[in-house]
Amino acid sequence: MAILSAHKVSVRYPGQDRPALSEVSLDIGPDDLTVALGPSGCGKTTLLNLFAGFVQPDGGEVRFGEARVTGPGADRAVVFQHDALLPWLNVRDNVAFGLRLQGVAKAERLARADEVLRLVDLPEAGSRYSWQLSGGQRQRVGIARALASHSQVLLMDEPFGALDAFTREQMQELLLKVWQQARRRIFLITHDIEEALFLATELVLMSPGPGRIVQTLRPGFSQRYRAGESARAIKSDPAFIALREQLLATLFDHRRQAEEIAA
Amino acid sequence: MNALEHTLEQKLADVAISKPVPDELPASSRAPRNNWWQPYRRGWLSLISLLAVLGGWWGLSHSGIVPPLFLPAPEAVLAKLVTVSTQGFMDATLWQHLAASLQRIVLALLAAVLLGIPLGVLMGVSPVARGLLDPLIEAYRPVPPLAYLPLIVIWFGIGELSKVLLIFLAVLAPVIIATSHGVAQVSRNRLRAAQTLGASRSQLLWFVILPEALPEILTGIRIGLGTGWSTLVAAELVAATRGLGFMVQSAAQFLVTDVVILGIAVIAVIAFALELGLRLLQRRLAPWHGQLD
Repeated sequence: MAILSAHKVSVRYPGQDRPALSEVSLDIGPDDLTVALGPSGCGKTTLLNLFAGFVQPDGGEVRFGEARVTGPGADRAVVFQHDALLPWLNVRDNVAFGLRLQGVAKAERLARADEVLRLVDLPEAGSRYSWQLSGGQRQRVGIARALASHSQVLLMDEPFGALDAFTREQMQELLLKVWQQARRRIFLITHDIEEALFLATELVLMSPGPGRIVQTLRPGFSQRYRAGESARAIKSDPAFIALREQLLATLFDHRRQAEEIAA
Repeated sequence: MNALEHTLEQKLADVAISKPVPDELPASSRAPRNNWWQPYRRGWLSLISLLAVLGGWWGLSHSGIVPPLFLPAPEAVLAKLVTVSTQGFMDATLWQHLAASLQRIVLALLAAVLLGIPLGVLMGVSPVARGLLDPLIEAYRPVPPLAYLPLIVIWFGIGELSKVLLIFLAVLAPVIIATSHGVAQVSRNRLRAAQTLGASRSQLLWFVILPEALPEILTGIRIGLGTGWSTLVAAELVAATRGLGFMVQSAAQFLVTDVVILGIAVIAVIAFALELGLRLLQRRLAPWHGQLD
């Protein structure tokens, strides 16, 4: 399968003296769950927007397989933090929306919607409306909608950032289950270190001023979760905690350097 | 407006609930109050104020202080309702006057919606269209329709066209402004989500932009209808032979005060019904309005 890749991409927003992204390269392979982790301003949202096609690079290029990414497309579905479901459609119709746009017959697309809603543990919610759901349920619908269409990549823009800690952990476990069953590559951005460590097969650490990748690692904790270990056991494992502190220290180091350069 | 008040009241109530109830309150005051009053409090209060006005009117007209020429009794107006709706006034029954007025406003509304929504969408999505159209709309919108009525008469004569045109202009501006506002406010995330699901530009318009702008558009129509209906009386002063405005106007010339009051009451009832109908429509078509975070 094709690789989604950014090759030396740079983005500079008008009116800002430092580029939002500077010569960033990243490949997302077919079986990856890649997480970009960093504080605000590190360019992770810009990177996601480049992959989605919402933003065009000022330098470098984004490719999906052979084709250059020049705009949003149905092969790359995005899950937003909030505000992206259509409140005038019920949950089933929201999930089936992408298929409707592609002209899939009603019975077929609704059957597909029900199937995906079962996958995200929301089998009963089909006839409800997004504004009647909790934040966690809404995000499940968002994930279901992205899965229902035949996209090859899920781009997730801080999908659990607005949820409370308990719901967030549930959603992380759900995401790993979905990722495994739906066999869809995922690129997720977050500023939550634990979330990044727990989910990522590949973790890219980003730092601001200018936005860039400062470290890439393969934590391997999500494989342990898939092998049957519990989320709490993994997150309280000394190896997990040590890595968490190390990443935090790296981020603080980079911030200090950036501030010294600025001063 | 009403929905806003309502949610504000609810929001304040939510705050109140989060405070602990003081212990010294007697148990009875903490229990829910009589269920014939509390849930319908607003309705009862409205009824009380309406009855007070009616009672005052009745008392005043029966006291002999005010002669019936100035203030006919309520029952006289009610009796007139029967005569006017069966025998008519100025060669037409009440229903014919009503039908004439409703026909004008419906025609004007249809034209305003058919022209106003596309123009509003255009202004909402295109800065060029906004730049071109905005000054025109803002220039004529604040002018009272009565002020440009004479010009319309000079240009289009005193036929039906002038009357419908005047109401149309009154409805058009709020529809365009509300539509463009609603379209410009469509959530970027929803647009982007639809794009990544493969939506074309026209699909974005039909499946995302228009549904999301719908509550605003309906608000614009509601405001426009209010303005349009009040412009109606003015429009029907222009040599009409039918219509509620004409009926009131000619009754006033002959000092038939009970018909004047009757006409005003019917105009008020229709205005209220239009407002209520559109609110219901809005709640029906856009139940999510005001529920989003």
